[in-house]
Amino acid sequence: MSRVDADERAAPSTPTGTATGERSRRDKTTDLETAISEYVTDGSSVAFGGMGGRDPEAAAREIVRQDVTGLTVLDDARTTLFDIMVGAGCVEKYVGSWVGTSLISQGFNVRRAVEESIPHHLQMRDVSNFGASLMFLAGAMDVPFVPTHSMVETDIPAHNPAIEVVEDPLGSGDELALIPAAQPDVAVIHVQRADAMGNAQIWGNVVNDHLKARAADTVVLTCEEVVPTDTIRAHPEVTRIPGYAVDAVVEVPFGSHPWHCYGYYYADLPFYREYGQRSRERDEFLDWADEWIRPHDEYLEGIGADRLATLEEMEAQINEIPPVLGRDGTSPRTANADREGGR
Amino acid sequence: MTDEGLQSDDALQPDEPSTAPAEEQGTGALDFPVDVERPDETAEDYSLTELLAVTAAKEIADGELAFIGVGMSLISGVLAKHTHAPDCQLVTESGYIGACPPGVVQSISDTVLGVDALVATNQLQIFTDNQRGLFDVGIIGAGQIDRHGNTNSTVVTGDDASYEHPKVRLPGAGGSTDIMTSCGRSIVMMRQQRRAFTTDLDYRTAPGHLDGNEDREDAGFRGGGPAAVITDMAVFRFDDEGEMVLSATHPGVDVDEVRETVQWDLQVAKEVTTTPEPTRGELAVLRTIDPTDTVLRGSDYIYEVEFDEWSERVMEHWKTLQDQ
Repeated sequence: MSRVDADERAAPSTPTGTATGERSRRDKTTDLETAISEYVTDGSSVAFGGMGGRDPEAAAREIVRQDVTGLTVLDDARTTLFDIMVGAGCVEKYVGSWVGTSLISQGFNVRRAVEESIPHHLQMRDVSNFGASLMFLAGAMDVPFVPTHSMVETDIPAHNPAIEVVEDPLGSGDELALIPAAQPDVAVIHVQRADAMGNAQIWGNVVNDHLKARAADTVVLTCEEVVPTDTIRAHPEVTRIPGYAVDAVVEVPFGSHPWHCYGYYYADLPFYREYGQRSRERDEFLDWADEWIRPHDEYLEGIGADRLATLEEMEAQINEIPPVLGRDGTSPRTANADREGGR
Repeated sequence: MTDEGLQSDDALQPDEPSTAPAEEQGTGALDFPVDVERPDETAEDYSLTELLAVTAAKEIADGELAFIGVGMSLISGVLAKHTHAPDCQLVTESGYIGACPPGVVQSISDTVLGVDALVATNQLQIFTDNQRGLFDVGIIGAGQIDRHGNTNSTVVTGDDASYEHPKVRLPGAGGSTDIMTSCGRSIVMMRQQRRAFTTDLDYRTAPGHLDGNEDREDAGFRGGGPAAVITDMAVFRFDDEGEMVLSATHPGVDVDEVRETVQWDLQVAKEVTTTPEPTRGELAVLRTIDPTDTVLRGSDYIYEVEFDEWSERVMEHWKTLQDQ
């Protein structure tokens, strides 16, 4: 058989490609309501991105707004968005490392759910922070577990029976904790920028988001800005989540408020302070939820444009995304044309 | 000071003569980033929280990699960075290494941790480096502790409640389990209360010296475990057996008062020292780092301040430290 023949024979199958390839190339932009209703349903297991910074707060409020119930949250450390969902009755079970709200208040809804079963009991399955990273690493690798020294000689495995402690089968004599893989139905992650296919760029710290996106069966990505693919190509080193892992892309400006989004806006401490104060009692929390659980554009109107601008000004004083990547959406290829002439 | 105490202090002294601990350097030689008169004199008035922040900061020696969390631990790290340990590198579990934050850190991914950072990476990488033994000192918090420094930050159950239905659900392990397992040495910060210094831990979240010092080696842990416990009354170190020893009391606190807050028969160093009071310089830096009293809480200011005043004040103080 000649080489030409082989190429011709292969040709017909090339255009359709693989399923993952299809997932990679599609335009996935949609609105928040549609993305949440399609991917986060009653009984889903969910992981959320960020960690007291770049949290997908708007997406979580939309989950509450849609009255989703019976969620299992597989996660690392969670702050306000988790406490709100627990208070609203969305969550049945949490597997993760830390729950609270902030430096200046506790997670009152989480405490009420675990201690007093209000609005219903929340089952807790603890891991350490490293354990949280490793469960998503195992999930992303598609292996049953990853071993670690952490959590050996603690009570964590006794109360989280999914973790096994074994002697090293290769003979070092060490005891190791085997951290089982987490492969949530959906990961909900907020980033600074993505293109329509979901190639997502994160500035600042990444926490566990690159692993959660790959471990989850589906990914809902919210971002401050949807940008042209050429903007992504100019700095591929900050693309932490590839489009082939992503199912929905939603532009949600201020999607992490009241938390920080590196390079975009600082955290609104007085806002989450108020959440802390008003979540102290159940009735007051329900009033808070009535006031703030609403479509994101209405939520932002409630915060006020001046206040949002101040948060942007604060962040601009401390961190800036490099100007070559310009926030006006212009192609950095043009900006770099002289240096990169031949491209 | 006991042998144990000396041993713990030795651990604070790196080999390089240029990186001696703060007490020996003399704070007068330091270049304070804020204007303050007579910076090395003892401060006239300071809060207990400020004393704790300064005491914990001194546990970080210059040049060290210091693994820190939110709140007191982070403000201590930031203080160390701006005073006696400018070449220490702060490590946070969310992924930042080597930052020089111009202000208080509200959360573990606070974007001030991005300021002048050397590395912005992910949590898996940070804890992998920790497990590999690359970090020198970590500061954690806890709700309960036993005589060997094992800690609980998960649940308070007492005798009649359970893990599933606890009396108090605490935030959980966070990074404390991983730091106490693998970090070079760990510093525990907590409240001094009889129900917290317990003979019967409700839940072991993080491994201290287990049932005695050699147990850690048997368990294959790379880190040295707890080296000090800093409370609102005292500072404790650990002896060769891995048992807690009262090393210093804060100004105005008696040894007997501390004994009464511990459920076991507390070991006390031959010479219990008094915790050094903060200097005017240290206090000025602390208050610049935390202008809205978010961590220090000498007042209710953070619970009362309006948005506009808060944002103006934070930006103004950031600028002070950014301009240094």
